[in-house]
Amino acid sequence: MLGYSVRRLIQIVPILIGLVTVLFALLNILPGDPARMMAGPFADPDVVKTIREEMGFNRPLWVQYLDNLGNLARGEFGRSYQSRRPILRDLIEVFPKTIQLAVAAEVASALVGIWLGVIAAARRNGWADRLIMTIAALNLSFPLFWLALMLQIAFAVFLRLLPPSGYGIGFDRFIILPAFTLALPSLGLLARITRAALLEVMAEDYIRTARAKGLRNALVMRRHMLPNALIPIVSTIGTDFVRLLGGIPIIEVIFAWPGIGKYAYDALVFRDLPALQASVVVLAVSVSLVNLAVDLLYAYINPRIRYV
Amino acid sequence: MRTSIREFATSDWRRFRRSRLAVVGVGVILLFALLAAFAPYIVTDPTQIEMRREQDGQTLRPPFPPNRLNLFGTDQLGRDIFARVVYGLRTSLIVGILVRGISMVAGVLLGLISGFFPRYVDDLIMRFTDIMLAFPVILLAMTVTAVLGPGLVTVCVALALVAWPDVARLVRGQALSIRGQTYVEAARCIGAGSWRILLRHVLPNCMGPIIVAFSMGIPGAIMYEAGLSFFGFGIQPPTPSLGSIISDGRGYITVAPWYPGFPGLVLTILVLSVNLVGDGLIDVMNPRAALGMQNSRSAT
Repeated sequence: MLGYSVRRLIQIVPILIGLVTVLFALLNILPGDPARMMAGPFADPDVVKTIREEMGFNRPLWVQYLDNLGNLARGEFGRSYQSRRPILRDLIEVFPKTIQLAVAAEVASALVGIWLGVIAAARRNGWADRLIMTIAALNLSFPLFWLALMLQIAFAVFLRLLPPSGYGIGFDRFIILPAFTLALPSLGLLARITRAALLEVMAEDYIRTARAKGLRNALVMRRHMLPNALIPIVSTIGTDFVRLLGGIPIIEVIFAWPGIGKYAYDALVFRDLPALQASVVVLAVSVSLVNLAVDLLYAYINPRIRYV
Repeated sequence: MRTSIREFATSDWRRFRRSRLAVVGVGVILLFALLAAFAPYIVTDPTQIEMRREQDGQTLRPPFPPNRLNLFGTDQLGRDIFARVVYGLRTSLIVGILVRGISMVAGVLLGLISGFFPRYVDDLIMRFTDIMLAFPVILLAMTVTAVLGPGLVTVCVALALVAWPDVARLVRGQALSIRGQTYVEAARCIGAGSWRILLRHVLPNCMGPIIVAFSMGIPGAIMYEAGLSFFGFGIQPPTPSLGSIISDGRGYITVAPWYPGFPGLVLTILVLSVNLVGDGLIDVMNPRAALGMQNSRSAT
């Protein structure tokens, strides 16, 4: 298991090198002079020239590329063109906020989604089941940015219950709307998977045995059905968390949540290439780590799987 | 299980028809497609500006709420939102099918090669797939359109670029399982070349999952296009896009909720319909083979 984990971690390295290479190739076709961008639109040509030499934009591309890779390998992300601060310091500030939002959304969707799935499975083909499954199918079809906008209107503009956007310290009212928006599609998916997994378990002999010995329905569900249905549910939560990280830039921009997604978006808008590259790398690494964690968790829940 | 297009067309249509929701989905998509195709004959000019309107002796200023003339109301310039939405549907449908078409061709080709040719070719393609899959999708698409300059063609290129790796993986898995079959061995014995085996034996036999993957990927493409346009990285005005209409309507949320509301609703219905058709197709085809595609959809 340990060997497996280490091997998986090592496998991330070539992927990262490839990622940086693809990104470097893409970004160097970008129109716009980074030195001019840093200096501002009305800067003196001499200032622009100084910056260009200082930042090394006048060197040949392959030197810039190798230098770039070397810096990344040493964990040096460089300075942001925009904030002029070391990118690492920016990232340390913004990344935890993204994790906070993503975890809040995933926990909310897992709790509510599994709960809805349990209800749907228990009342199979009843009206509650149909209603939940319809909502689940609908949730998967909402465009995230539009959903965000509509929830903003409903809860912040008309009902005035929640702040429309922004960031507050800790888990307070600011996190509710973005987390809920992010959770909605996952919630539908989880409800569907939970229901399907439970229905599969329901046909097992040991469920009939449990019922035959007079166990209450709720207990049958909690002790016998849910634990055995857990494997597909957990693996769905894992893949869903990755999907959630993909959608997070959209949500962060709309709700002005100062996380890494918004940081990357701003970097792209202002052509702040080092900052963009750094945030893409960090996001890619976190996705890889989540995938690894899911696989390990998978083996933990289902002892039949052994990684060597 | 192994379904060629012709078999699907004849025998499986009955099974597909059994799922009522999928048929409803087909109906909605057909309706939208007709609207989009014959837009100039159905709706008014979407660029027609109307800055004032007399009603009951009062002078009204746009945005006008939904009324007899404007089914979805108008925007801040008095342009009919229904007309703009219909033209936006045009863009959505074109992008959805084009992006999925390009990414499917690329993905299927690379997947087949990867699953059938020597190990080092497979490794090369799959490592590249891993790299592309590691990118945060929306950021990569935005970066590509930022590099190439926004517009319909670049949006399609950007979205196809982020969509093919999923397909390549799926098809590679199929090709791997088919290459060991007896009929492949038999074809090789009578002297068929690799490409002939790939195109005449392997490809037709993984057509089921490919059709499902095609339909399952369309909603994602449509939503990503709308998302890109919403953030200004996608389709540029004057070409209408549902995403950019919603984006324009953001500022009028409180005075004209119909402005961003209706385009989003139409977008949702379109995506939902395509999803329903996809679900119906999964029921018809081998459900196991398509299972992997289920989670990858709808990330915007």
